[in-house]
Amino acid sequence: MLSDYEAIAGRSAVEELRLLSARLSGKVIQNVNSTFSGGGVAEILSRMMPLLEQLGVDARWNVIKGSEPFFHVTKKFHNALHGRKDRITKEDFALFREITQKNMKKMRLDGDIIFIHDPQPVGLIGKKKERDKKWIWRCHIDLSHPTKKVWDFLKPFVVKYDAAVFSAPAFSCGLPIRQFLISPSIDPLSDKNRELDQKTIDSVLEKYDIPQDKPIITQISRFDYLKDPLGVIQAFELVQKSIDCRLVFAGGAAGDDPESDKVLAEVRERAGDNPDIHILPISPDPGSDIEVNALQRAATVIVQKSHREGFGLTVTEALWKSKPVVASAVGGIPLQVQNRFTGLLTYETEGTAHAIRQLLTNPDYARWLGENGKEHVRYNFLVTRHLRDYLLLFLALEHNEDIIRL
Amino acid sequence: MVEWLSANWLTIFIPLLAFLATYIVGLWLRRFIDKLLGRWKEKTKWEGSEVVARAVRRPFLLWVVLLGAAIAIQVSVLSPTVKSISGKAIGSLFVLSFAWVIITLGERLLRMYLPRWKVPQTTIALTVNIARITFIVIGVLIVLDIWGLPTSPILLLLAVVVLAAALAFRDIVPNLFAGLQLSATQQLKVGDYIKLETGEEGYVTAVNWGNTHVQALDESTIIIPNSRLLHGTIINYGRPLRKAEEPFRFSSRAHLTELTGLKAKNLRELVDCLKQAPDGVIYYHTHHFLEQHHYLTPELSNDFAIWVSDALGDEVLGERLATIETFASPNLGTLRERLVAVMEDYLSQGSNFREAMPGREFHFMKSVSVTMPTSYVVHDLREFVEALRKISLGSLFLHIFDSRLRLGRGLNDFSIWLEDDLGETELAEEVNRLDPYIYTLEGLRSALIQLIEKRIK
Repeated sequence: MLSDYEAIAGRSAVEELRLLSARLSGKVIQNVNSTFSGGGVAEILSRMMPLLEQLGVDARWNVIKGSEPFFHVTKKFHNALHGRKDRITKEDFALFREITQKNMKKMRLDGDIIFIHDPQPVGLIGKKKERDKKWIWRCHIDLSHPTKKVWDFLKPFVVKYDAAVFSAPAFSCGLPIRQFLISPSIDPLSDKNRELDQKTIDSVLEKYDIPQDKPIITQISRFDYLKDPLGVIQAFELVQKSIDCRLVFAGGAAGDDPESDKVLAEVRERAGDNPDIHILPISPDPGSDIEVNALQRAATVIVQKSHREGFGLTVTEALWKSKPVVASAVGGIPLQVQNRFTGLLTYETEGTAHAIRQLLTNPDYARWLGENGKEHVRYNFLVTRHLRDYLLLFLALEHNEDIIRL
Repeated sequence: MVEWLSANWLTIFIPLLAFLATYIVGLWLRRFIDKLLGRWKEKTKWEGSEVVARAVRRPFLLWVVLLGAAIAIQVSVLSPTVKSISGKAIGSLFVLSFAWVIITLGERLLRMYLPRWKVPQTTIALTVNIARITFIVIGVLIVLDIWGLPTSPILLLLAVVVLAAALAFRDIVPNLFAGLQLSATQQLKVGDYIKLETGEEGYVTAVNWGNTHVQALDESTIIIPNSRLLHGTIINYGRPLRKAEEPFRFSSRAHLTELTGLKAKNLRELVDCLKQAPDGVIYYHTHHFLEQHHYLTPELSNDFAIWVSDALGDEVLGERLATIETFASPNLGTLRERLVAVMEDYLSQGSNFREAMPGREFHFMKSVSVTMPTSYVVHDLREFVEALRKISLGSLFLHIFDSRLRLGRGLNDFSIWLEDDLGETELAEEVNRLDPYIYTLEGLRSALIQLIEKRIK
């Protein structure tokens, strides 16, 4: 219930949502992405839809249909937009166009505001006809170093939108349309983030056979090269030389990510037979959210050593649990981790290891960072703020001035 | 006839004599009681004494007549059956007349005292009627008992009626008594500003027999059952303060960040972009840190200073930019000139040619603000300070920061209202002198509340 958020985000934050949503009555907001489950986008949408409904906003959610080869292609696009050099062929582009055309024929896009998430459904803009309908492209990925070939292919679609939304300022890239900055968010009442009692935490650790005899360093992320799992193990090994501790690397797979099995195998091989490294593939079942929550709450320090990151919601989750965080200064992470205020930012493996050691040996400092981190999330990265930004965005599209008086 | 009278004169004369004797004694007794009551009235000086005296005096002769008749019948030669029936009839008449006296007395006393406790007319009428019905019922029951008729079924019926009434009015009765007590003790009056522990607050606009009406800060009326007021904790701030000519209507504002596409990787580019950026950009980069990190003790207060220190690694220039007082700038144009002047001066000394690492460029952004009215509308300082405790930080930001620089009013909205509509010149000046940039937002809220509370005291 929306009112449940009053105790966490403040009564005025929820009142503000009601005031704004009242101005959108009668409008239909249609969200389109590529999957109903797995990954940050689906997670945010699934939490946000019921709240929008309670606010009286007619919000809908559709997904495009695509074959496995299509999702291989979009995964390659995703990696390429993040700057990774993957071989992308003419056939890949042709397949993308073909599936886009099929979806354009099948899908009814009749909302007043069509909200397209990420590159997979970006081509649906071809259906834009009526001027009074607003089309927004919501980019959740880091576009600061895109592979030119892929960006050149996608850009003609993007420029036809009325506005684009990015998660960090550095992600925007010289577009002739209005661009907005909206950070994603976490839901403090979801299983992944709600408070847990010690008994639940203990039972999860027992299930995964993780003794609580020494400090635990944890990274929660998909098995994906961009999350640098091998770098995490290397940093942990450096820490382990001077401090006795454990590493928990846990994560699931998104529905549209076919690469994770290969990465998992490599990570297991790299971990070898080190008894203090726990590699945990978490099932994508809804019940596993509590397990992730428990693993984060059991951690002494949480790491997010990504090479590229859209926003890094796992960092937001860690901060919300008042955990000291060591994270790479990539993507949206610097928005969340204000270095030395709400966590520590690092650039390389050695730096990461040094920061972890610093936090393990200075628990008071670690606690102070964790508490600041939680407050930072409370005011800037909860779903209530995210909802507010979306409502503001829908209103802003109808006005061109900087100060809109309702 | 004459024969019959001469034969039975004694049987008529004795009862007649008894009746007359009783009547004469009665008249004498009434005069005696009158004197006694007169002395008692003088002695007690109780205003109800006149009511009591009048109520007793009027039926006294009737009671004497009834007593005389009863004695006359008893000493007569009438049959025992007639005597018994007449005795019951006289007894019934006495009970009914006595009940009438009690009812009249009770009604007059209630009508005398209840208005003094400010009990509403509807409550008085209700109380009088309840008392009237109670005594009539008691009288009728006694009469029935005198005639030997069974009273149990009637008592049972009455018990059922009373029980049903008690159930039907179970919520009203405690409120009714609470209302009486509130009025009697003068705990709260119309015009008082009250605050309940459950959060409701506002000016009392009416105290009724069952509930109290309070006008809340959003101008809605809250109806509070009296029993809650009696048993809960209430803060009563007392009488209303001076009302403003126009109420202050709190607005709130939320902002969305728009990316301008402009970015700088060194100081030269930063200055060039700064010169051409719209005012909204200057406002955003000198204010958003305050709002985003309002829970921290204010650190470097503008994004330019933070970026120069962090990304260019130039802490000297960072400090110079941080110490440009936003509060001392009357408008955004002046603020921009001061920022540009410090940067150009630094460049002219050839001090900074460093470049930010890729990914750490300065991105120019601006905010799109949406302002909207809130439900808080206040008419005096009491309502103002109570609303200040409740408004969102966005609302505080709008009325203090936005109004001064972004909306170009030169002053904060609170000072304008305090001065223009409430005539609180001194307080307006104090609020205006407060430098909001050296507080966290919650700290600023507390500082404002303190200033106003001090003025109210």
